[in-house]
Amino acid sequence: MNIPAKSTSPVAIGLRDLHKRFGPLEVLKGISLDASEGEVISILGSSGSGKSTLLRCINMLEVPDSGTIAVAGETIRLRTASSGKSRPADQRQVDRIRSELGMVFQSFNLWSHKTVLENVIEAPIHVLKRPRSEAIEEAEALLGKVGIADKRNHYPAHLSGGQQQRAAIARALAMRPKAMLFDEPTSALDPELVGEVLRVMRGLAEEGRTMLVVTHEMGFARDVSSRVIFLHKGAIEEEGAPHEVFTNSKSERFRQFISK
Amino acid sequence: MNSPGFLDIVSFGPDGWGHVLAAGAWMTILIALAGIAIGSVIGTFGAWAKISGGPVPRAIAEAYTTILRGIPDLLVIYLFYFGGSAVVTAVGQFFGAEGFVSFPGFVAGALAVGVTSGAQQTEVFRGAFRAVHPGELEAATACGMGRVLRFRRITAPLTLRHALPGLGNVWQVVLKESALVSVTGVVELLRQAQIGAGSTSLPFDFYFVAAMIYLAISTVSGAFLNASEHWFSRGVRRG
Repeated sequence: MNIPAKSTSPVAIGLRDLHKRFGPLEVLKGISLDASEGEVISILGSSGSGKSTLLRCINMLEVPDSGTIAVAGETIRLRTASSGKSRPADQRQVDRIRSELGMVFQSFNLWSHKTVLENVIEAPIHVLKRPRSEAIEEAEALLGKVGIADKRNHYPAHLSGGQQQRAAIARALAMRPKAMLFDEPTSALDPELVGEVLRVMRGLAEEGRTMLVVTHEMGFARDVSSRVIFLHKGAIEEEGAPHEVFTNSKSERFRQFISK
Repeated sequence: MNSPGFLDIVSFGPDGWGHVLAAGAWMTILIALAGIAIGSVIGTFGAWAKISGGPVPRAIAEAYTTILRGIPDLLVIYLFYFGGSAVVTAVGQFFGAEGFVSFPGFVAGALAVGVTSGAQQTEVFRGAFRAVHPGELEAATACGMGRVLRFRRITAPLTLRHALPGLGNVWQVVLKESALVSVTGVVELLRQAQIGAGSTSLPFDFYFVAAMIYLAISTVSGAFLNASEHWFSRGVRRG
């Protein structure tokens, strides 16, 4: 399934000239990217290419040294601290924007002291201040949607990796996010559990959700995403619709990458 | 009047010592509870300072734990008692009072026990926090939780899970340390047993009963701590 990138859709996430440095290592060397609403962008690259750092900059888990990030048209304000490092100028703005972005992690990161249902209702109740009964009702619907309604009262440690990741996706969806960020969502899974998570993600893509997916799953990148971005050493090396870049890339590095 | 026997020590009758020993035991529990509560507040800030504080808070926390672990607990109690009394006396003289005004022994004792257990709790909380999976905290950050909310809902319960075994040890130490507070004149369990021992000819019996009461307090509170450990470890796969 290929959804052509519609230039008429409003921009959900806009990145301009992002730079990020860890000590002597420049991880992002000026990345610009617009994700329109409803777009599914797969971010590919070998390890160390900066793809996870790029994703983590969007919700300020890493603060970029320079450049701008806008979510639904609102630019995150940054300031330079006395140490010379870049810091959010308004922590409450950052917290609010984070609540509008659903993040799914490689290692699931479910809260181990809470049941699956408690994980899903936690932030809607305490961050978004939704009524508890409404949050529970919506959480149960979401758990049904990702196929683990029967696990609602289980603790994460008693679920398989695939079930944990689907619970984590339900937790992110419960915030009614404007966009979803997936950081290698299937990389920590046993091979036989990858499929169930990818199926859920494909379902979300078909609903028209805006998704940025850092992944090593070439099948997902080719079949589900509307655009593929290939990072190499902190810069965008190749970018385009999957049917174009996978068959006919000008980048030698990308051709090598996908042939592995 | 007959000289009292062992049964009079534990009796709650008119000639019995039961009620004064119970009152002493109650005072012991109060000192220990106040001490561990003060210590947990200090320990929380101490652990925060050591983990994510700047260089100045970290140096203060480091100095605090080093000094407190290097001074005898009895001496800390004396410092608080006489230091507190010196302050109160000075304030009293300012308002026209004369002579030595003593600092309340209970307050001095609870502060001293709190400050020493705070040093231990700093280390317990710091170690426990290190054992929390950082991804779980990052997930809380990523869904827009502010610092206070994240601490209350996620960081504190996950840290307590790893801290409770260590806190159990601290509690046992605090319970025993409370006996040292008797030097300030607070009539807690040990002091009460001393009074009983001195006014009868039954020192061993009094100290034996006191030992049994200490043992009962630590057994009951140990069971309570086990139950809380069980509660905070919910969701941890066993075996």
